Amino acid sequence: MIVPIASLIFGFVIGYLGQRSRLCYIAGYRDYFLVRDTYVLKGMFGTIIGAVVGFTLFHFLGGNIPGFPMLLDTAGMNLKSAWLFAIVGGLGLGFFGCLSGGCPYRLHVMASEGKKTYWAYAAGFYLGLIYFNVVTTRFLEMIVQALR
Amino acid sequence: MSLPKIKVSAFTAGTVMGLGAALVQAYFKIIPPPAYGICMVCHPKDLVNWIADHLLGTAWGNVTVSTTVPVLTVVGIVLGAFVAARQHGEFRLEPAREPIFHFITGFMVINFGLILGSCPIRIIIVSSYGSLIAILGYACLIVGVFLGSLTLRWIARRYVQRRAAA
Repeated sequence: MIVPIASLIFGFVIGYLGQRSRLCYIAGYRDYFLVRDTYVLKGMFGTIIGAVVGFTLFHFLGGNIPGFPMLLDTAGMNLKSAWLFAIVGGLGLGFFGCLSGGCPYRLHVMASEGKKTYWAYAAGFYLGLIYFNVVTTRFLEMIVQALR
Repeated sequence: MSLPKIKVSAFTAGTVMGLGAALVQAYFKIIPPPAYGICMVCHPKDLVNWIADHLLGTAWGNVTVSTTVPVLTVVGIVLGAFVAARQHGEFRLEPAREPIFHFITGFMVINFGLILGSCPIRIIIVSSYGSLIAILGYACLIVGVFLGSLTLRWIARRYVQRRAAA
């Protein structure tokens, strides 16, 4: 039972912080490219620093950090399709995330602030999730088979 | 009773998120897959798949950590943001602008996010875990945002020109 409780509490904390700090993981780059504003970009540097320090520290303190650093480990997927999915997914997520106005985390926070624009976003998001499970997964399996 | 107003900088919030993602993996069993502390496309997927598999009898499957009980990060984020907004008087129901456009972008974001296997937050966390594939994905994400920014600028320019012409 520790997993749902820990993730719920951690989610509450980061949701609270996200609402107070306007932190967004796509608007940071977008603001920098468009108007050279670095306020949100600093949050991303903070995340990189926090994660690198955290993983290294807990690795040496004996926490559950297996296979650190990961390097070319793809968790069961073959390497060719992993590269392909990283490129296609990264480009698509960045492009459409930028058009939608922020990362999914930020837009969930804004939806919780009562902005109905992002309720429409969330509707598309969760419908797309079902579409992925039903349709996109099949395509991905075909690509993985073809590249084997 | 008035609750204290809290102001947090983006840098502090980001650092807490990075450290917290490492902490929940190291000591609170949110693993495997590794570097799974925060993900705003995989955690919703886990929750929806778990509900669908248990209530509707589908066979969409789940990652190891969410097979018996799902991760509830999304619920926490929505609750936390709602509480913060109410506490500071920032909760306001605002009518939707361009709902169909946002519906479509949401649809595309979740599909590309699941192809990548991570959201813009988790890609940073997996990159910090040392995965070279994630670093490539992260670079492509930044290129994608750059292309998106150019598109936004183009849309804005065209809008201004049309207004000027009219």
